[in-house]
Amino acid sequence: MKVAYWPGCVSRGFTPELHGSMAAVAPLLDLELVELDRACCTGAGVIAEHSQELADTLNARTFALAQQVEGAALMMNICSTCQGAQSECQERLDANTEYREHVNGTLAAEGLSYEKGLTNKNLLWLLVEEIGLENLKKKVKRPLTNLKVGPFYGCYIVRPTDRLGIDDERPRDHYLHWVIEALGGTVIDYAGVHKCCGFPIITMNKQNSLKQAGMHLADAQDAEADCLVVPCPLCHLNLDMQQPLAKKAVGRDDLSMPVLHLPQLLGLALGLEPNQLGMSKHVVKPTSVIDWSSAVVGAPTPA
Amino acid sequence: MAEYTLKLRRYDPQSGEAPYYEEYRVDLEPHRSVLEAILQIKAEQDGSVGIRCSCRAAICGSCGVRINGKPGLACHTHLDHAAKTGVNADGTTILVEPMGNMPVIKDLIVDMDAVHWKKIQRVTPWLINKEPVPEREYLVPHENMVDVTQTMACIQCGACVSDCLAMEVDPLFVGPAASAKAYRFVGDPRDAQQYERLKDLAEDQHGIYDCTHCFMCIDACPKGVAPMSQIMRLRRISGNDHHIVDRNNGERHERTITGLIRDYGLLHEAEMLPRSYGGYSWFAKFHPAAGAELLDSLPVIARALMRRKVTPGKVIFGHRIPKPDLKAVQAIYDKVESKDRRYELNLYISGYEDDEGDAAPAETVPAAVGANGDGMPSAPGPNPHQPTSASESESA
Amino acid sequence: MPAHDVLIIGAGLAGQRAALAAADAGASVAIISKVHPVRSHSVAAAGGINAALNPEDTWESHAFDTVKGSDYLGDQDAIEIMCREAPEEILWLEHAGVTFHRSPTGHLGTRAFGGASQARTYYVADITGQAILHVLYEQLMKHHERVDRYEEWFTTTLLQDDAGNCVGCVARDIRTGALEVFDAKSTILASGGAGQAFKPTTNALICTGDGIAQAYRIGAPLMDMEMIQYHPTTLAENGFLITEGARGEGAHLYNALGERFMEKYAPNKLELASRDVVSRAEQTEINEGRGFPDGTIALDITRVPRKRTLEALREIVNIGKDFAGVDITREPIHIKPGMHYIMGGVKTDFDGQTPIPGLYAAGEVACVSVHGGNRLGANSLLDTLIFGRRSGAHAAERARGVAMPKSASSVLSDAQAGIDAILNRPTGGRRVSEIKNELGETMNRYVAVYRDAEGLATAREIVQRLKQEAPNAAIDDKGSVFNQDVLAAIELGYMLDCAEAIVMGAQERRESRGAQFRTDFPERNDEDWLHHITVSLNGDGPELGTAPVTITKWQPQARTY
Repeated sequence: MKVAYWPGCVSRGFTPELHGSMAAVAPLLDLELVELDRACCTGAGVIAEHSQELADTLNARTFALAQQVEGAALMMNICSTCQGAQSECQERLDANTEYREHVNGTLAAEGLSYEKGLTNKNLLWLLVEEIGLENLKKKVKRPLTNLKVGPFYGCYIVRPTDRLGIDDERPRDHYLHWVIEALGGTVIDYAGVHKCCGFPIITMNKQNSLKQAGMHLADAQDAEADCLVVPCPLCHLNLDMQQPLAKKAVGRDDLSMPVLHLPQLLGLALGLEPNQLGMSKHVVKPTSVIDWSSAVVGAPTPA
Repeated sequence: MAEYTLKLRRYDPQSGEAPYYEEYRVDLEPHRSVLEAILQIKAEQDGSVGIRCSCRAAICGSCGVRINGKPGLACHTHLDHAAKTGVNADGTTILVEPMGNMPVIKDLIVDMDAVHWKKIQRVTPWLINKEPVPEREYLVPHENMVDVTQTMACIQCGACVSDCLAMEVDPLFVGPAASAKAYRFVGDPRDAQQYERLKDLAEDQHGIYDCTHCFMCIDACPKGVAPMSQIMRLRRISGNDHHIVDRNNGERHERTITGLIRDYGLLHEAEMLPRSYGGYSWFAKFHPAAGAELLDSLPVIARALMRRKVTPGKVIFGHRIPKPDLKAVQAIYDKVESKDRRYELNLYISGYEDDEGDAAPAETVPAAVGANGDGMPSAPGPNPHQPTSASESESA
Repeated sequence: MPAHDVLIIGAGLAGQRAALAAADAGASVAIISKVHPVRSHSVAAAGGINAALNPEDTWESHAFDTVKGSDYLGDQDAIEIMCREAPEEILWLEHAGVTFHRSPTGHLGTRAFGGASQARTYYVADITGQAILHVLYEQLMKHHERVDRYEEWFTTTLLQDDAGNCVGCVARDIRTGALEVFDAKSTILASGGAGQAFKPTTNALICTGDGIAQAYRIGAPLMDMEMIQYHPTTLAENGFLITEGARGEGAHLYNALGERFMEKYAPNKLELASRDVVSRAEQTEINEGRGFPDGTIALDITRVPRKRTLEALREIVNIGKDFAGVDITREPIHIKPGMHYIMGGVKTDFDGQTPIPGLYAAGEVACVSVHGGNRLGANSLLDTLIFGRRSGAHAAERARGVAMPKSASSVLSDAQAGIDAILNRPTGGRRVSEIKNELGETMNRYVAVYRDAEGLATAREIVQRLKQEAPNAAIDDKGSVFNQDVLAAIELGYMLDCAEAIVMGAQERRESRGAQFRTDFPERNDEDWLHHITVSLNGDGPELGTAPVTITKWQPQARTY
């Protein structure tokens, strides 16, 4: 399946292991990624805070570029924050023709135009809704047996439910649970699954930000998770890169919780090796994961 | 009729015992509400179950509770829907607990005075009349009153406060309900203290820049008040119109992200921190506040470099989108930012066009300032800012 | 022990307005409410508030519409006062911050409402009651040093001294169970109506006739109790209200044959005839087999432009979606007449004074009477504010010339004994909720839109039997923290007292007028029945009486819409 692929800023910045592991995993999922390298940042919800029209116009440009990709089934992102920020803009653009025409008026200078109704899905949704869990299961070469994984969704991909298309038919706020199970892992539920990592306020109230991250890491560790998996690199930054400080903020010196990007978890299950997935770049060494995968199960099943 | 099991959290302060869970069975049609089920339990099985309730129709705001871990009104939640997201596999058990972030008095009844009302009172929740008070009514543009109706629709149920994640780690956070209440006045042209209210809430470390942007309150609210959106509106008016710079670096952070994307097209993470603290300039990193923060973060930066998460090049130079695209992005910035008034579409007011395309073009109006075809005067008074919902369309 | 110049029981619109007026007049004020003030049922009032504020409008026109709407049972001097003072009250509210809807010129804007000869209903979307109530509470928070609030305190008895003056009340702190005597020079009842005596009803669970019964029990006469308003558009199953504002915006009523039947019953005003006329029209259609199988009529709001519906009728969009599974912008919603309001109540003059010195009443609990046999939509919000303000001001004035009473502490132990008696009732009797359900179903069956002697007699018998059973209804909760069980038992007693008075009034009035329609006396009979019917408690039991109707400008005429 061909997709117009928006990798986001952070996957090419401070979490390069995300970008790399997505590239490695895509062919195993039969995904052809056409990278939208002309598109700009979604604004992460912060530009919208400053000016809705600016955020909407910048994202409409990205949508228009995605719509130009020949033969692409849909647009895909690998970041909860991108998904949420873009969905917010798309909601406004799609809801009101007059507004959309106004925004397109600004894009006309570049010869671009956004047509209402773009399908924009995070990798997580794509796995369940486009590829399907059954297909995913078939591709698993190294079932994550005995690996206890705590899902951490990221606010921007689970709220508000109506804007993100979460309902009884598409319980998208359970998809990460399902994917972990489909890959053979054990889901660890804990209080912070759908809560906030604190990234949005890391420069505004560092204590509160780190307390949130620390709290969720601690809850997951107390629930005996081996690692967390996140579909958002901003969450990853606050949970992994900031983990040493987060530990201090909640007074938990014993905290040691590896945090995996979703494509990394996929990669392990689909037969890739940890060093192909950039896991050495993490601040919190995922020793529990790496040791397990190289020692316990051994080599993946030959294709 | 269908059978449901309601698992209620009980707490009797006079017993000296810890809270516990008790299960009750009810037999009701699936579209009935959780409140009706609890009232049936009170009526027929156990009159000691405590829950506040009155109107049964989601207007009085009494019955705020947590159902299956999510805040909401008991009268507003249907049994079948609640059971589907419930606590056991066969979809019949519904967990009901008191709201969070507030002390529990008994069973499902919480002390709202201690938290919710205290914060409401903190934002001076009454109109401070603009002088002179006219003899008849103040003349106010129609769309201002429609705009403020969104926050007036708040029924003070506390659902947003219950699950506010910022409040969970910072009980002093002013909170979503109080912020929405503050907007009700900031957005009202008859109020004389828009600037003072904003300054107060912006400069308070636990004020509007303490919100962690998690959307919980938007989801929790049964009335579409969207408290987080109101907080963002308050930030917009505070930062953009009044240039109030807060202690939390919130306004600087906003300017930083906006500025970085203008200059790079992508987020230059390494510059995000110093400029949020020191102001939008390359030299920000030498500003004392930024410098202190950078020093504090040195271990984090060092680790990131050691793990080869980032290269020194990336840290110093960042990454950009291709030049022609960056130019296009900057052209967009120039066009949009140069306007006098912000064009804001508030879907609460304008609604959604549906697929049958029933939004007749005649109903929508141009967004430009003063282009109202109905000859409506601008609001009186020196305050230039009006909430600019794009639906300046009148149907009155 | 709290002691105030003015004590107000009930914190809905009337109570809060009275408190602000009394405080403005310099009195020391306490306001007691069994729920947090913003939970008062005024919050559910939707459509709007009437006033002849428009320069082209006159208060006389408003007054005449009200008199006609009342089917000539309203006291015209009180109606004149209400309509004359209405415009100023609206402006007071606007200055206090109420977010009234505006016309394109920025002035206060109106919508059409039932029974009005011209549009004079001022509104806030369809949450007018909420908007006004919350703004009044904002003012109470602002003036917290002048008005002492006792939130979640339940009044159990009104106190009287030996001379028969009302001197305050006993109330229970719901959170702790502690009882307290509230001494007061003047007491204002503002505790609302008694809708919970009917099932279903649009009224909240808290509308249990507390004030009506409390006043009745110390000898105040109740008036016009038989006048029970059935609102034309309520959801069939649960009785939820669909505001008249929908019809004001242009919605139509259709029977199952697709006919706009109001053309038959009220050719001029159609859906905006007075509520009793519309309710009877609907009920007739239903009774004669032209309703839908579930006993309903269709209300079609789809003809109102969608954007307008979202702006001005947001609340019922939500109600339709959440409680009836219907998108009212796309399909009709099914409704039927449902019990909504009690025109009757504690008899007062136009300053809120009852015949008991020191006892006032304002709002739905009172009967001035400005609504007579039928209340116009958007006049109740007006009633609460005008007479709330007048009672508050008058009570404050009266307090100047009165010494602070001091009730004996024995009243506390008496009250406690009453509570203990309930707590200690032996089990085995019927449950409180069972008795309440039977009461509600009985009233809705025999004392609804159409009544007759036989049905009323049956209702009377049942009510009397339930009055025997009620004192034996055992409760489960014996605790003192937030014991809602014991309050329900007390409220049951209040509802039964109200129900008895309602049935007696309906039996006594052998004619049809306003909301009372007797199939055995279908005509209005001014010669024999142009007067109020009162019910008072003397030593032996309830006693019927009469009171004259004050006529100033408008002689009774035939009433057609």
